[in-house]
Amino acid sequence: MFPAPRAHSYRNHEQNRLTLRCGMEKNMAGISDEIVISLRNVSKQYTREAPAVNHANLEVREGEFVFITGETGSGKSTLIKLIMHELQATEGEINVLGYDLNRIRHGKIPKFRRNLGIVFQDFRLLRDRNVYENVAFAQRIIQVPGDRMKRNVLEILDMVGMADKYKRKVTQLSGGEQQRVALARALVNKPFILLADEPTGNLDAETAWEIMQLIERVNRDFGTTVIVVTHDKAIVDRMQKRVIEMKQGEIVRDDALTQEQDYSYDYDDSYDYQDVDADGYDYED
Amino acid sequence: MRMDMTMKIRTFFYTFGQGIRNLFRNLGYTLASVATITACLFLFGMFFSVLINFRHIMLQAEENVSVTVFFNEGVTEEDIQLLKIGIEEREEVASVTFTTADEAWEDFAQRFPEGFTEGFLENPLEGSDNLEIFLSDVSKQPELVSFLKNVDIVREVNYSEITANALSGANRLLTYASMIIIAILLIVSVFLINNTVATGIANHRDEIEIMKYVGATDFFVRAPYVFEGLLIGIIGSMVPLVLTYYIYNMAVEVISSRYSMLTGILQFLPVNDVFYYLVPISVILGVGIGFGGSMFTVKRHLKV
Ligand SMILES: Nc1ncnc2c1ncn2[C@@H]1O[C@H](COP(=O)(O)OP(=O)(O)OP(=O)(O)O)[C@@H](O)[C@H]1O
Ligand SMILES: [Mg+2]
Repeated sequence: MFPAPRAHSYRNHEQNRLTLRCGMEKNMAGISDEIVISLRNVSKQYTREAPAVNHANLEVREGEFVFITGETGSGKSTLIKLIMHELQATEGEINVLGYDLNRIRHGKIPKFRRNLGIVFQDFRLLRDRNVYENVAFAQRIIQVPGDRMKRNVLEILDMVGMADKYKRKVTQLSGGEQQRVALARALVNKPFILLADEPTGNLDAETAWEIMQLIERVNRDFGTTVIVVTHDKAIVDRMQKRVIEMKQGEIVRDDALTQEQDYSYDYDDSYDYQDVDADGYDYED
Repeated sequence: MRMDMTMKIRTFFYTFGQGIRNLFRNLGYTLASVATITACLFLFGMFFSVLINFRHIMLQAEENVSVTVFFNEGVTEEDIQLLKIGIEEREEVASVTFTTADEAWEDFAQRFPEGFTEGFLENPLEGSDNLEIFLSDVSKQPELVSFLKNVDIVREVNYSEITANALSGANRLLTYASMIIIAILLIVSVFLINNTVATGIANHRDEIEIMKYVGATDFFVRAPYVFEGLLIGIIGSMVPLVLTYYIYNMAVEVISSRYSMLTGILQFLPVNDVFYYLVPISVILGVGIGFGGSMFTVKRHLKV
């Protein structure tokens, strides 16, 4: 069973980072016992019909990597939207990073959102701007000074393997490249949690795998908690992460238990992360 | 918290930059709404210029509207002086002049050739001591007249009802007409700004959505659009002022040169007198329309 939630200790955002980065005990996979997302009996009803999310219970710890799967219409996107507070629950308690999302004041939402990085299936880039501007946009909004912004943007673009194309118009990029840029935008503000709703849904298998490797690297290197919604059974099977399966709004499977062993199996010392880069990681080796 | 000065300055410049950027990204709509506000305020300016001149001319006319009071026989000068003080204290009265019968006769005599009045031994205008009352507000003439008629020493009250009525009627009409026109212009302009800003918001839906996901504050999202509206309002009030300035001067010149016989009757106000009022009114209207209109739109269309 889960230990009692200690999410209240996140109330102070700045202190929050320190606690998370330095103070917590973490296991081999970089997961602490700090619960960053907790849903208790959460339901979301759009109409009078069956609820899109039905009495969901979920706890995600800091540093975890979680897949959400399930057939179409099962409520995956709705669950993500509840976590990012785009929607409000009709019932139940949602607590994310110490914010009680049922009671969060409207004025506090921006502050809350700055802890999240969000990636969509359709990339949602600003079509009239180039790669650099699309990523810098996120930094401008939180008003990072110019020189620091430039450094951050180029650094994150380098990480996703798009540094050499920073001047390109986003309309001239492939789908995989666009998603890399979108990922960079979601990550440039160093969020605690990365929420990705079908990030590879529009990509071919190979590109999808590359993007997924990038996301995993973010999880591992930055300690970012990651939640990925995906249909892609191959990826889910291959990545060996915690999987939550939804069906008609209910969470019907949550195999948090297998993680420990999976991590030790997945990341042995021979695994070379540096090969995961923009120019394609040959995962068939 | 370190929401310090540099951050505020950065936000200000961001808002400024985005506002201007919006103007150009949406150039067609921007020009349309600037043109409409310009047209509205230009019409308003023209109307205002005519109105203020009309009022000026009417005020001059009103100054010449007077009520004359004659007295019963045997009324002493002291009685008349006493009444004069009483009248002067009334609100609607601008000034009162007392003319004795002798002064009246002298005045009369002066208008005729030398010797014309010599045959008269007595003042033929005996008993025509009078008070001439000038009003500050001609619409109050009836009240003054009924007051005067009830004073026991008064024999006769001379006044022109038609002049006073016509003047105060015209005055009222102009005031109402100008109010209605201003109201219509305001509504049209606000409607247009509303459309422009709403289009801008619709065009940038994706951008606004992303801003919200990244954690932009309401203010940060909204400010550029409000600023855009404000700029439209300011530009839309400057252009017509410049136009009106030149057209006014030209019109006055043309009218006074072509219809020179009118110049004695029609005294046009100098352009600076007109602009003393027109500039602040136009700027306030422009800024108000721009700011109010975009604020309204942003509140309605930009639920952040
Ligand atoms: N805005 C909405 N209004 C009404 N019903 C909605 C709305 N959004 C989603 N739904 C309904 O809620 C249910 C869950 O939708 P949701 O988008 O969460 O599913 P999903 O698991 O993300 O599906 P997919 O895999 O196709 O993306 C569906 O039955 C859907 O029709
Ligand atoms: Mg979905």
